[in-house]
Amino acid sequence: MSRRVFAIADTCFLIDWARFRRKDMLFKLFKAVFVPEDVLNEVRSEETIAWISSALSRDYLALYTPSRDEVNEARQLIEESRLKPHIPSVDLPEAICLVAGRRRGYVVLTENRGALLIPKFMSRYSGVVVWRSLEVILNAILEGVVEIDCSKPGELFSEYSRDTLHIFPTKALNRAVEEVKRKCLGK
Amino acid sequence: MPGEVEREIAEEEREARELRRRFADWDFISKQPPKIREALKYYIEKGDLRRAAKLAGLTIEEFRELLRSARIPVVV
Repeated sequence: MSRRVFAIADTCFLIDWARFRRKDMLFKLFKAVFVPEDVLNEVRSEETIAWISSALSRDYLALYTPSRDEVNEARQLIEESRLKPHIPSVDLPEAICLVAGRRRGYVVLTENRGALLIPKFMSRYSGVVVWRSLEVILNAILEGVVEIDCSKPGELFSEYSRDTLHIFPTKALNRAVEEVKRKCLGK
Repeated sequence: MPGEVEREIAEEEREARELRRRFADWDFISKQPPKIREALKYYIEKGDLRRAAKLAGLTIEEFRELLRSARIPVVV
């Protein structure tokens, strides 16, 4: 299965993304976004549940039930990551997403720093593509699934920050805005 | 592992901690019950949503809402 067809999202990603006014852009980037059952158990607010249930009914979201073998690999990943001093903690829901990313080529959607860093520090997971909301928004712009005003290349990122009280690290945001500018210039 | 990656990670973590400290509504935090107050302080220092929520005895989503009330941003 080629990349970018499917994604798998963890709780931290979903609960912030659900507050974004343009949240449905996610479903123009992927044919389906899987949600591990454990993640679904962690969602409680009416707003998030309403969005998830609506997306499930439209087949944009799909439930992901990990196999016993995947759960075992996820537990092993957690143990191995504890031996790496640069990696913040990763728990089972994020680890399951990373295992699905490695085995099935799903893009992992997360706001967990540990999950973001694992591909950089653990060679077994180096091929896993991990996106924060920053990369989701950037790729939505680059792939033309959302229209932007080129006189305000950072506007969509600011919109997300205002909707969610989520701030992007300065360097990563600047790099993303530069990519948007290049797209606007047709480079 | 290249040193540049390590440096960038450390820099991002430092920036994130500073932003959480700067934006936090410390008056709101000081008025919370001890368990919640300590969980919010832990989050400001570590940025670990799941562990902070567990410390507070809340779900992740409830704790995320509490962060908004305390004006503490998620920086990732």
